[in-house]
Amino acid sequence: MSAETVMQRIAASHAGQTAQLAGGAAWARRRELALARVLGHGLPDRRNENWKYLDHAKIAERAFDPAPRVTLTADRLAPCLLPLAAAPRLVLVDGHFEPLLSDADAGAGVAVQDLATLLSTDPACAMRLLREPGDDADDRYALLADAFAAGGVVIRVDASAAPPEPLYMLHVSSGSLPGTSHARVVIEVGAGAKLRLVEHFVALGDAPAFSNLAAEMQIAAGATVEHIRLHQAGTQSAQLETWFVEQQADSSYSQHFFALGGRLLRSNLNLSLAGSRAQCRLAGLFMVDGERQADLYTQIAHHGAATRTSQNFRGIASERGRGAFNGRIIVHPAARGADASQSSRNLLLTPLAEINARPQLEIHTDDVKCRHGATIGTLDPAQLFYLLARGLDPAVAQSLLTFAFCEDVITGVPLPELRRTIEELVVGRLPDRDVIRSFR
Amino acid sequence: MMILSVRDLRVRAGEHLILDGVTLDVDAGAVCAIMGPNGSGKSTLTGVLAGRPGLEVISGTATYLGRDLLAMPAEERARQGLFLAFQYPVEIPGVNNVYLLKASLNALRKHRGEPELDAFEFLNLVRAKIRQMQMDESLLNRGVNEGFSGGEKKRNEILQMSLLEPTLALLDETDSGLDIDALKVVADGVNALRSPNRAIVMVTHYQRLLDYVVPDQVHVLAGGRIVRSGGRELALELERRGYDWLRFGPTAA
Repeated sequence: MSAETVMQRIAASHAGQTAQLAGGAAWARRRELALARVLGHGLPDRRNENWKYLDHAKIAERAFDPAPRVTLTADRLAPCLLPLAAAPRLVLVDGHFEPLLSDADAGAGVAVQDLATLLSTDPACAMRLLREPGDDADDRYALLADAFAAGGVVIRVDASAAPPEPLYMLHVSSGSLPGTSHARVVIEVGAGAKLRLVEHFVALGDAPAFSNLAAEMQIAAGATVEHIRLHQAGTQSAQLETWFVEQQADSSYSQHFFALGGRLLRSNLNLSLAGSRAQCRLAGLFMVDGERQADLYTQIAHHGAATRTSQNFRGIASERGRGAFNGRIIVHPAARGADASQSSRNLLLTPLAEINARPQLEIHTDDVKCRHGATIGTLDPAQLFYLLARGLDPAVAQSLLTFAFCEDVITGVPLPELRRTIEELVVGRLPDRDVIRSFR
Repeated sequence: MMILSVRDLRVRAGEHLILDGVTLDVDAGAVCAIMGPNGSGKSTLTGVLAGRPGLEVISGTATYLGRDLLAMPAEERARQGLFLAFQYPVEIPGVNNVYLLKASLNALRKHRGEPELDAFEFLNLVRAKIRQMQMDESLLNRGVNEGFSGGEKKRNEILQMSLLEPTLALLDETDSGLDIDALKVVADGVNALRSPNRAIVMVTHYQRLLDYVVPDQVHVLAGGRIVRSGGRELALELERRGYDWLRFGPTAA
């Protein structure tokens, strides 16, 4: 399908929806401008260095018409839920915040607003809150989300608040019919606050839906955020996400990222360590089997002095699965005393699987400590032989070593029930899972 | 009863011929030592018997309990009671030591048609063994050999061995890198396994271990062949005279 056709379909879809979108004239103008920029630049493709591994055709073949609105009942969600019974839940279905499926009380010091409501009642406020995406190719899908901006959620955490329970944000793709949904998420974490956020992506149906998330998080001085992100959508869904995170002085952000589902996932994280001594720790794992693809792109910019990054990503590909890790760390001249380490380790389990890893450091000051490394390989034959020499079945030994390869990324998950669930999901993807379970 | 019978075994690793016609018999009840200078092929011999990948058998046979050993995959050899104590036990972070012990023991028991041990029985057994090896119990819950000292790794090998109770134990330089106290503990572990139904083959460069585990036979491997066989006195002579005299001396004792 040619690029023109995709653009024509996006334009047609936009023309069909625009009358129903809330926000008045100012928002109509903003959306028109965003659309014009998307149509003018086109979506990123393989010619864009940061997008060269993505199977763009898998997105282009999807319908760009909106996913039809469905009404879900809580019992449809029950089988998908993570064991976070006490955690206040926020549910987005095909990009729309669903108050009836969500908890009204999101915890002490946490305010939640439906973006669709805000667009109607206070479009100027929505205008201020939602970041306007730039012209960079990496921001193009966020721009597309801006052109269709309608639904989503705004979360504000008061200064010094420390809700006892994590916030559970569930992104549901109804997946009963093909369609595209755009969601916006805005999170503001006040100074000194402590937030734990679990973001969970599921698909209920097997229609080839396309979900496009544009999200941003502002972390004020001294705040701490633990962000657990679990992609668990079915075998047909395509997910694109563009996250912007900005950290002020002495703030701390840790992310635990798991890409364990979906036909295609492209995840962009653009993180700015703006304030002095801000630090981020990013751990991640993708597992791609069958025909799945996971393509992770992270860009971390050190602006403040003595800022720190620690990034540890693992990838496992089997069958015809394809994975990519493209991690860029930029240390700007003002970031004296910055410390950045980046590690990407990848495992190919079958000959047709494919992984590309590109760690990139860009350093503009002398006073830094930076390390990075990337490996792509197969299981260690010496470890394998050791296990066989102890009588273990070869398939079991392989599964054990595969699990061991990603174990430290899993053990880093701060919530024990969730850690066990993720562990179980990873084990469930391995051959001889029952034997591996007996090892836990 | 013959446990292991090796006939004219020739083995290549890559381009290099390492074993050039090894012939060796090991009877039930025997403790035999294979000594030799560095590079003589000692580790290749234990490796090829245990099924280490990357070694190519060019000719010769190895018969274990009457079966063609070289035709069995490595895990099958282990299940049939062959145990290799590694010279360099590999670290496997993320695979819990005690779970490996349990999986390994149960794989062997299953093969023998015995019921698998439940968690309680297993822990009692492994605790007794770990006391015997004077190991810290915390090592059980670490990754396999992960962050173990050299001595702890070797003790862990002997711990596994005493748990698995092999019919044929191959100890590859188990004494290297051990201080004298650890050497005694390891030797006690090996001696405890001496039995009329079992054979132990110790590969070593030095005779030091043999002070504590007294062998019935000593074989000298040099240039890929057994060049001399004898009793314990041969080890003492090697200690006194080094290996060089053998290279030029007669090939029969």
